[in-house]
Amino acid sequence: MARLISFDIDGTLEVGDPPGAITMAMVRIAEGLGIIIGSCSDRMVSDQTRIWRDHRIPVQFTVLKHQLDTVKAQFAADEYYHIGDTNMDRFYAERSGFKFLLTGAGVERLWIPQ
Amino acid sequence: MTAQSQYRWRRDKEGLGVWEHRGKVAVAGYGHSPVDRRWDETSMDQTLGAYSILACQKAMADAGVTPDQIDGVICCPTTIAGASGGAASNWAPRPFFDPPYDSEWGLTRVNAQWLIKQMNLRNVKYAPASAPTIGEMVGMASQAVGDGLCTTCLVIYPTGNLTGRYRRGGENAEDYAKGERQWTVPWGNHGGNDFINIFPHNEYCLKYGGAHDDLAPFVINQHRNGLMTPWGFNATHDVPQLTLEDYVTSRYILNPLRLWDCDRPVNASAAYLFTTADRAREMQQPPVYVLNHSQHNFKQRSTQPMLDEIETWTDFAARQMYEGSGLSAGDVDIFNPYDGYSTMTQFYLEAFQWHGVKRGDAFAFYADDIRVEGPHPFSSGGGNLGNGRTRTSMYTDSIEQLRGTAGRRQVKVRAETALCAFTTPSSGGWLMLGKYPS
Repeated sequence: MARLISFDIDGTLEVGDPPGAITMAMVRIAEGLGIIIGSCSDRMVSDQTRIWRDHRIPVQFTVLKHQLDTVKAQFAADEYYHIGDTNMDRFYAERSGFKFLLTGAGVERLWIPQ
Repeated sequence: MTAQSQYRWRRDKEGLGVWEHRGKVAVAGYGHSPVDRRWDETSMDQTLGAYSILACQKAMADAGVTPDQIDGVICCPTTIAGASGGAASNWAPRPFFDPPYDSEWGLTRVNAQWLIKQMNLRNVKYAPASAPTIGEMVGMASQAVGDGLCTTCLVIYPTGNLTGRYRRGGENAEDYAKGERQWTVPWGNHGGNDFINIFPHNEYCLKYGGAHDDLAPFVINQHRNGLMTPWGFNATHDVPQLTLEDYVTSRYILNPLRLWDCDRPVNASAAYLFTTADRAREMQQPPVYVLNHSQHNFKQRSTQPMLDEIETWTDFAARQMYEGSGLSAGDVDIFNPYDGYSTMTQFYLEAFQWHGVKRGDAFAFYADDIRVEGPHPFSSGGGNLGNGRTRTSMYTDSIEQLRGTAGRRQVKVRAETALCAFTTPSSGGWLMLGKYPS
């Protein structure tokens, strides 16, 4: 079963401002499990790309928050998740057909291999 | 200590003539704290109070004065995050800390009395309990020094930000707008996004032609100038240079206002040292003379300003400033207007007619060469858009340009006068600075 996880950055990832609960180690594990991963943030795409490059984590997508729907169009998966920390994350996730998960609210279950 | 309540320091009318203290007051120092996105709620050396003390120390060191020489302190005691900002602007009801952080003072707000105590400024004789925002405080300080209420005055502008939704706490966070709020804040916040900018800006585009994204060259240049400002948020946080693609693909906050049209709230503080021109000449830095200060506060027709009102107001502000300084548009070398929302800056540019820009000309001007290296180095400080919502880069850049110490931002054109402001179209103030007293 193919799974895709989109990560917000600020307030979600540990490298965000403010730091969030999702560590880069967790992201690496997800990537290692074959989950399609990437970021969806209000940060410039170049800034998102830099973060992943600096942490040497290969991601499949880096998009702006209001363009999350393009990810669904681009990648075929059985489950689409967006993890974020604000109601704007929820708004764009639900509008784009993603399941929204609040940072830290039991998101670890997504790391369990299917 | 001098009482403030009856002191008439404002210059808010036309017909006042050239300012009586023109060239007799000077800025002799400035200092900036680090600019953080938010206070992290644990580092007590990074609180708004600690940063304000640091900014004062830097300003005094820049000028070469000691704490015992300070006899005036003007500090804005309100929170920039808004009184109804909820968790973003109030620490309570969370438990406070050991003194001096045993109340909101020093955490979310800073006032003159708190600073005087923490810094042991024993010779202060002028420290008003209330003070307006930086746009008017610099005028307040200039007039106070000119009138002799104090001789060596620190002006401090703290801009705090905690975790939480900025200006979206309290009643603004409720799902329903009750009572009169259904008319004034139906969407939870009555701020610059909607009422000040969007409608007049759309009117502007309709009246003069052009489209919203014609602002792109201006916003991109603000980011460029900000990346050349060593203390600013962008320069100290590895924010990449904004590109045209970044701008035109960014999401709307309120159509047509884009994400990058809005400044970034930060946790920071800045301080300036105002003194008499005679004293400034004995201090460490070349004096930057105050040639005029002015304020304005217009009564609005309704909750929604329209373009014609904004043009009338900004025209008034320009006439008032030019009258009091004895200068005209062609005399102004450095122009640092306010840019908290990119949509408002064109109104100031055209009112003051800097470099001959008249009503309806702003978008074409933005499309020309406005880089600091070029012939029209507009907003050379990068403003809030390039540095974060400190509301002070306009002042610091003007000082540095006149001193000749702006580094990579140093303009190539003449830099002998500078006009700067934190203001909205309806209320605020302007400051004219000069390399020479007359």
